[in-house]
Amino acid sequence: MSERMPGFGAPHLTALNEGYWKAAGQGRLVIQRCDDCGTHRHVPVEICYQCHSRNWHWDEVPGTGRVFSYTWVDRPLSPELAQAGVYNISVVELDGVVGTIRLLTNVFGVDKDTLECDLPVKVAFDRVDDEIALPVFEPAFALNEAERVSAGKVSA
Amino acid sequence: MTQDEWLKGKAAVVGIGHTAYGRRGQFVERGSFSLVIEAVQKACDDAGIDPRDIDGWTSYSNDVNQGGLLAAAFGTKRLRFTGMGWGGGGGAMGGAYLYAAMAVATGQADYVAVVRGVTMPDNGRFGRMGTTEGPPYGLMTPGQAFALAARRHMYRFGTTTDDFAQIAINARLMASKNPDARFRDTITLEDHHNSPIICDPLHKLDFCMESEFGTCVILTSAERAKDLKQPPVSLLSAAMGAPPRWGDAMFGGWGGGDENVGGQYAPDDDYVTGGHRTVAEDLYAKAGLGPNDVDVAEIYDHFTPMVIMGIEDFQFCKKGEGGGFVSDGKIGLGPGQLPLNTHGGNLAEVYAHGMTHVFEAVRQIRGTSYNQVPDAEVALVVAGASMAPTSAMLFGK
Ligand SMILES: [Zn+2]
Repeated sequence: MSERMPGFGAPHLTALNEGYWKAAGQGRLVIQRCDDCGTHRHVPVEICYQCHSRNWHWDEVPGTGRVFSYTWVDRPLSPELAQAGVYNISVVELDGVVGTIRLLTNVFGVDKDTLECDLPVKVAFDRVDDEIALPVFEPAFALNEAERVSAGKVSA
Repeated sequence: MTQDEWLKGKAAVVGIGHTAYGRRGQFVERGSFSLVIEAVQKACDDAGIDPRDIDGWTSYSNDVNQGGLLAAAFGTKRLRFTGMGWGGGGGAMGGAYLYAAMAVATGQADYVAVVRGVTMPDNGRFGRMGTTEGPPYGLMTPGQAFALAARRHMYRFGTTTDDFAQIAINARLMASKNPDARFRDTITLEDHHNSPIICDPLHKLDFCMESEFGTCVILTSAERAKDLKQPPVSLLSAAMGAPPRWGDAMFGGWGGGDENVGGQYAPDDDYVTGGHRTVAEDLYAKAGLGPNDVDVAEIYDHFTPMVIMGIEDFQFCKKGEGGGFVSDGKIGLGPGQLPLNTHGGNLAEVYAHGMTHVFEAVRQIRGTSYNQVPDAEVALVVAGASMAPTSAMLFGK
């Protein structure tokens, strides 16, 4: 758990999405999954895009994946965000799901030299309050030079 | 799925008009409704018609200048048609033209004005999104969202920031001949290198600049167009849409889905596009034309990488080869080059959400551009890479 960066807001909870944030508050990454055909989907929506079932549940997933893309925000847009310094906005593609699931997120514990596409990552949780946290990610392996090379070669 | 050529040539652009192009905040006191009224008057002068004869109005991106209010302001004799293209950004612009063309081709209206006007208090900041309290992961601007697509394109295909720079260099070069353009100084690769990084990999010179403007384009049926002041510019094709699961793919869930969770779920091969793969297929099919028939391309350039992806999406080169295409001298006004954004585009002329790309296509077909392509017969306009729908058009003689 880490301190929220200044200027980063809290999610807006709705009937449809609150299970996602509350599970994260308990240290679990869950993704919406169709009861009938088993397809995962995200962002939360009422109906399965594969079979059109409206029956679904929160499914705990392994929380591992790879960096799909990222940007470093060198020029933050608010004074509050500027206090955080240069930060990354990343997209992580998850392992262990049916269908493609990518999360918009931040990767912690990396810098401009170490964050790269396909970097293996694992979920961590950035606490907002007593009830909820944000799923964020950190490198799945230690990032010394030798391990970085081997990490990049771990099979998909 | 291919589509037939029924609409090809049934509608034509007969008038274009615009106000001066201002920086963000310049026309705030005047307001966008006043700017649109001026643009409509100028477009009617260009066409040689009475504004009261405009009986249809369309726009896109939730433009605040409603057709019904414009009809009342101008004393329209008989309002018959209005249409709005959903979606933020400039994505649905081609939709506004498609509605107009279908309306005049099927007799729903005689003259349809496509309008777009922006001053920032009317429309909010176009270069921002999200809430005042700040989004949980710090994604606040379209530039940041498109930087994600740009980074993925670099990773998959070896595209470089120097490739992006070529788009900005070309835009400034074209704008240097355009007296209406906001940014008329030419730039070099070194200028791009020295331009500050806003959101890596994008430099400041990869961004367009928020602007204020009023714009109007008038369409009528091919029949009516024959008797008007200007040589008609035929709408050969217009297409709107998106590939499967595109949604608001670029924007991490902003706009359509749950804004604070975010999902970038487009298939990998579509992620590194402007969302235009299927639109390009439909566009060419509906015109019975292909990329080799295009004489000049006006591709929405809010961010330079999206032009490179547009060059790929509209099949001027293979997917992934757009960076090499622009850096190997294949864009420009010379023999064998693709003339690109010959007005200076969003980057250098004005960020008018694609309307001035249409103006320039019309000028090229009329033969009146500041950077005229000799004997231009087919002009491509690509609307903004954005959330669904995206869109495009082909204009010709
Ligand atoms: Zn299902």
